[in-house]
Amino acid sequence: MTGAPLLQVEGLTAGYGGAVAVDRLSLSVAAGEAVALLGANGAGKSTLLKAILGLVPAMGGRIRLAGEEIGALAPERRVRLGLGYVPEGRRVFPGMSVRDNLEVASWLGRAERVRDLERVFALFPALEGKAEERAWRLSGGQQQMLAVGRALMGRPRVLLLDEPSLGLSPKLAGEVFAAVRAIAATGTAVLVAEQSAARALSAAGRVVLLRLGKSIHDGPVETLPGDALRDAFLGG
Amino acid sequence: MITLQLLVNGLALGAAYALVALGFVLVLNATAAVNFAQGDLVMAGGLLGVALAPHLPAYLPLPGLLLLPVVLVLMAGLGLVLAAAAYLPLRRRPPVAVFISTIAAGIILQNGASVLFGPEPRAAPPLLSGGTLDLGGLVVAEQSLAIIAVAALLIAGQQWLFGRTQLGRRLRATAQDPEMARACGVRVTAMILITFALGTAFAGAAGLLLANRYFVTPTAGGDLILKAYIAVTIGGWGSVPGAVAGALLIALFEVGVSSVLSYPVALGLLYATLLVILVARPQGLFGEAARRRA
Repeated sequence: MTGAPLLQVEGLTAGYGGAVAVDRLSLSVAAGEAVALLGANGAGKSTLLKAILGLVPAMGGRIRLAGEEIGALAPERRVRLGLGYVPEGRRVFPGMSVRDNLEVASWLGRAERVRDLERVFALFPALEGKAEERAWRLSGGQQQMLAVGRALMGRPRVLLLDEPSLGLSPKLAGEVFAAVRAIAATGTAVLVAEQSAARALSAAGRVVLLRLGKSIHDGPVETLPGDALRDAFLGG
Repeated sequence: MITLQLLVNGLALGAAYALVALGFVLVLNATAAVNFAQGDLVMAGGLLGVALAPHLPAYLPLPGLLLLPVVLVLMAGLGLVLAAAAYLPLRRRPPVAVFISTIAAGIILQNGASVLFGPEPRAAPPLLSGGTLDLGGLVVAEQSLAIIAVAALLIAGQQWLFGRTQLGRRLRATAQDPEMARACGVRVTAMILITFALGTAFAGAAGLLLANRYFVTPTAGGDLILKAYIAVTIGGWGSVPGAVAGALLIALFEVGVSSVLSYPVALGLLYATLLVILVARPQGLFGEAARRRA
């Protein structure tokens, strides 16, 4: 169910305080496509996602969402135009209830907000029974589901996920990636950064390998050369 | 009966302190900045009430109550000015920069008030009347009951806004994790401006409420910021319900000890108690970890 690119990144350079973490990187993600962004720690995966969202300033390059240039917009504008973000470490709002964590990310009227809440609870039934609990009381897996659900409440056209399996048991990580597949199947473009290559590849149709901020491979999962992963994670 | 009267007086004073502490803690949570001008904003609200009172038509009943919405709106506007001048330009600097800028804003308010009003104590009009009510032998000042009612309404309004509305959720999300709030599409700068406006409006309301029974002078803010700081420390740094509870406790303590001993002794004991709490229970009496705060 993939089509024209929804997210297009061209020659993006980004970093912190003059240090380049993402170097002239290009990639695209189409509607309904799940792309795995793989690389060792420090390869630039998180910086790339943050730069796409605008949380890290870009030093060069272009970012387009459905053909519209968004590189100069504030993060909140990009979110309202259709970017969703699930950060590394979940970063749910700890003192707010599960329901409030979800509702705060919605930009729709009450009736539609409630419908979207029901959709999130259908995707993550474990959250429904905890709707009034403060988020800090949830387990790591439930917090991850909440972080994904919160991003979905903004009805994103492109969903960016940063290390969604980090710190989760294999079973819970499997559930999160099953949800990622389901989200992509609805037509959302998904870009998921992971260190756990096996899990990410199980959910993705295409893979982008990063090393030292540069893309060293971009292609369908089936055509991934055997030594490319080793090069991305161990150098070569 | 005297105990009951003291309790009403303590609750009235505590209700006004609660508004001061509430405004202080809302800004603290939204910006991680200590607004040292909060006490002087209370003073400004009181003197605003004093200044506006003569301009109300004499035939209008309940002048103090009519002044309340005017003071709330004007003080909210002052809060926006304070945020734009003393916080936003310095938000990416170390926190000490905002400490100093809010202290400077407080000094400007104090000196401006001295120039405009002089050093004499002034009284704002009572909310309802300056009379007393006899409740089965319990004689209480109407102003005390009005202070309690108005503060309770404003605090309930704040709780409703923050707990039940989308704007409130966005304000709380901004207070808990501003970067993540932006990543959820929240306009964080607008939320910070709204928080300053609310916090300053609460300070102004407290000023109007206090300026009738306790009078107001240009230098009254120093004592009030200390009380707000102590209330927030006792209640748990960053805890909104804790700040309100802390303010009520301080006022009851102050009124109770003052009636048996004296006000200076009450203040001395209050600061000593604060030191004990800071050593023995730094998270405050009702505190939980800041990351979990509401």
